[in-house]
Amino acid sequence: MQLDSPDREYMCPGHVGCPGCGAAIAMRFVLKALGEKTIMIIPACCWSIIAGPYPQSTLKIPVLHMAFETGGAVASGVRAAQDVKGDSETTVVTWAGDGGTFDIGFQALSGAVERNENFIYFCYDNEAYMNTGVQRSSSTPYGAWTTTTPGQQWKRLRKKNIVEALVAHRITYAATASIAYPEDLIRKVTKAKSLTGARFIHIFSSCPTGWGLPSEMSVKIARMAVQTNIFPLYEVEEGLRYTINLTPKGYLVNEYFRLQGRFKHLSETDLTHIQEMVDEDWNLLLRKAGSVPEIF
Amino acid sequence: MASKEPLTNRSPLVIPCSYLTTEGNKTGSWRFLRPQYEEKTSPCSAACPSGEDIARIQMLTAQGSFKEAWETILVENPFPGVCGRVCYHPCELQCNRREFDEPVAIHTIERFLADTASRYELKFGLDKLAAKKQKIAVIGSGPSGLAAAYFLALLGYESDVFEALAEPGGVLRWGIPLYRLPPHILNEEVSRLQDFGVRIHCDKPVSQNFLKEAKKSYDAIFLGCGHSQSLPLSIPGEGLPGVEDGFHFLNKIRRGDIPTLEGTVAVIGGGNTAIDAARSAARLGAKVMVIYRRRQQDMRAFAEEVEMALEEGIEIRELETPVEIASQKGDLLVTLQKMRVAQEDLQGKARIKPLGRKREKIRVQHLFIAVGNTAAEDWYDLPSKTRGVTKLNNCVLEHRSREPVLVYGGDLAASIKSVVHAVASGKEAAMALDVLFKEGPKAMESRLKSCLVGEGPSLSMEIYLGGPRAKRNHSIVSYESLNTDYFRFAPAISRPRLLREERLQSFAEINLKIGGSLAIREAERCFNCGLCNQCDNCQLFCPEIAVIRDDNPQGRHINYDYCKGCGLCVVECPRNAMVLEEERL
Repeated sequence: MQLDSPDREYMCPGHVGCPGCGAAIAMRFVLKALGEKTIMIIPACCWSIIAGPYPQSTLKIPVLHMAFETGGAVASGVRAAQDVKGDSETTVVTWAGDGGTFDIGFQALSGAVERNENFIYFCYDNEAYMNTGVQRSSSTPYGAWTTTTPGQQWKRLRKKNIVEALVAHRITYAATASIAYPEDLIRKVTKAKSLTGARFIHIFSSCPTGWGLPSEMSVKIARMAVQTNIFPLYEVEEGLRYTINLTPKGYLVNEYFRLQGRFKHLSETDLTHIQEMVDEDWNLLLRKAGSVPEIF
Repeated sequence: MASKEPLTNRSPLVIPCSYLTTEGNKTGSWRFLRPQYEEKTSPCSAACPSGEDIARIQMLTAQGSFKEAWETILVENPFPGVCGRVCYHPCELQCNRREFDEPVAIHTIERFLADTASRYELKFGLDKLAAKKQKIAVIGSGPSGLAAAYFLALLGYESDVFEALAEPGGVLRWGIPLYRLPPHILNEEVSRLQDFGVRIHCDKPVSQNFLKEAKKSYDAIFLGCGHSQSLPLSIPGEGLPGVEDGFHFLNKIRRGDIPTLEGTVAVIGGGNTAIDAARSAARLGAKVMVIYRRRQQDMRAFAEEVEMALEEGIEIRELETPVEIASQKGDLLVTLQKMRVAQEDLQGKARIKPLGRKREKIRVQHLFIAVGNTAAEDWYDLPSKTRGVTKLNNCVLEHRSREPVLVYGGDLAASIKSVVHAVASGKEAAMALDVLFKEGPKAMESRLKSCLVGEGPSLSMEIYLGGPRAKRNHSIVSYESLNTDYFRFAPAISRPRLLREERLQSFAEINLKIGGSLAIREAERCFNCGLCNQCDNCQLFCPEIAVIRDDNPQGRHINYDYCKGCGLCVVECPRNAMVLEEERL
């Protein structure tokens, strides 16, 4: 696949992400689309480490490392400061993990979106607090092992649907994206950049370390998440207009689950139950997008 | 107290600010697996008897580099125009795309490239190696003889091709019907070989005495005389008027001596000559039946030809064999013995026995016998000795001191009698002679073994010459090792052909040309198994920015200072052109 995007890299080699890190791939693609006139706010997350210890930085753009809960608030402030300086050209973005988005930073994010602050919030989602040692978050999917949902105590609660929560705010633009679909990802970032107001992009970023996944399968598993409808690719404009970007051929979830150590305890019955939940979510999405679901 | 000074000047930042990149961290030290570029062998190229680099030919075609694609064929096969028409394309049977949707139409693309080269009068730019002192005589200008002379010329040897008849081509000219191979295609290919330095002497039949004479002027003699003598049925009535040899009938038509046929024609046999004779007879107005002693699926004729024969209204009578031919009121009365399948051999081919005394008499006006051919002279027979004789896959070499080397090639020694095997035979002979002259007979087998495509038996001239293909891993790419996420379902192009009615009216070529855009579309379907086609996935997905584009032929290299060995590039390579190996300390 050759991308019709600038060859310029805004990331340096030598970062300290784990081998096969999906979040590092996500950052590479996003920065290619954003370009150098970007200020990035990183609340506590894997990327607080990946970006390098002081005095190093792996990113070629200005970055502010911030406290866990402040992703939305700091971005609002930086945007206001840029406006005061008369700089409307620079894009202000927040780059947060799922913990800093779904849980700890949710209040600040919700506030910023409610105020329709002019910034883009990226959540790279690796489905747990990976950096601190794989603790469950409200983004951890049903069925997953984490260090705080060990053994038979695996998570029996559903993953929070963050995009729908933000759509409920009537956010200007919200989209899901995957590292396995770089063309779609870059298109969505470019589109978000061209809009004004609060924008949110949810990027599925696989984590070989936390998911018990061979590092070389990182992109493959992200692609399977889309193909099985576990992580559908879609976008919502003005909180109303849904567009589903890819309609997969209906692969079953089994293979996706079987490849990952974090799901190895699941029985066939559990997987059947998960398949039902995935189908239910997909049909709900189809209804929102104005398509008639095949079942029901 | 409002101030008019800009905010920035009043409150300097007191937060620490990074001033170094992370490039000082050589994260390559984390690595215990090493990804590498490594091209492998595609199953189609190993299945091609002449070892054409098919995956690369498709890649170049898809890129629109038609001339380069055509030249890539010519390194391994001097007859893309002929083989693009008459080859039975075993490559397509092994195409990995078969597991996905349909095999790539490799045969059609080969013909397209030959047509394009002919249309734009492309000249091929292959360089000959330095001239050698040895001279070779080639007897017979069929596909094996011409291929031998061509490859010998490529390796720097002078040769003289002796042809008994007035025009070169052998079976290509006299045996294959016009609707499969128009003569101007053959003429073009032959004149390209002549331009390349192949000397052809027509009307020069060669006798056994020549072998003795040749000693003075030649260091080796290649016998590519073919199997031109038809086998008899050995039944009563074979000599009656109206009974004719099928191969002879085909020759006559190609010479322009076209008879008219009326009534019913029976063709005895199940090989390509039988089917060719039957289809030719149908074009001359006869009602034709093919009588074969085994079943249709056991026929030696190519399945595609048999299918087209059936489409053209030819009847195939299975499990019947003639036992007597009689003449009755100007017609032929043929007695057929019914046969039965006694058992099947390992390849599933029927072994047959007569079905009691069950017989049937049929009345026909003409009968063509096409039950097989053999060598016309007994001195063409392979040597029975083993001393000083080397048997290769498609040729046999007899080398004795102070005697010119005698090479039996083409149909005389090939594993399968087909045009492409004849080409393979000529190539093998040229390579074997080169090794023999340079390194002696002992080196021959091991040296040829190193030039196998995959596990063989096909040989590659490019590998022999040490071209880029020589670096390829011999392991054959399996379907499972491809990343098919990057390919979309797309049916193969439908090969354009004359309609059934149009076919029967003349000897016009059946398969029609395809255009450039269709050819590109079809070639794009190719997985290019084992080859890098610069798709750039490895660079695109690398989390370490450790794949760097450059201007070497690979187009990129891996910066092992930073590569952590995650292996992602190897999995995301759609065509298995990379490998992940344990890091050697």
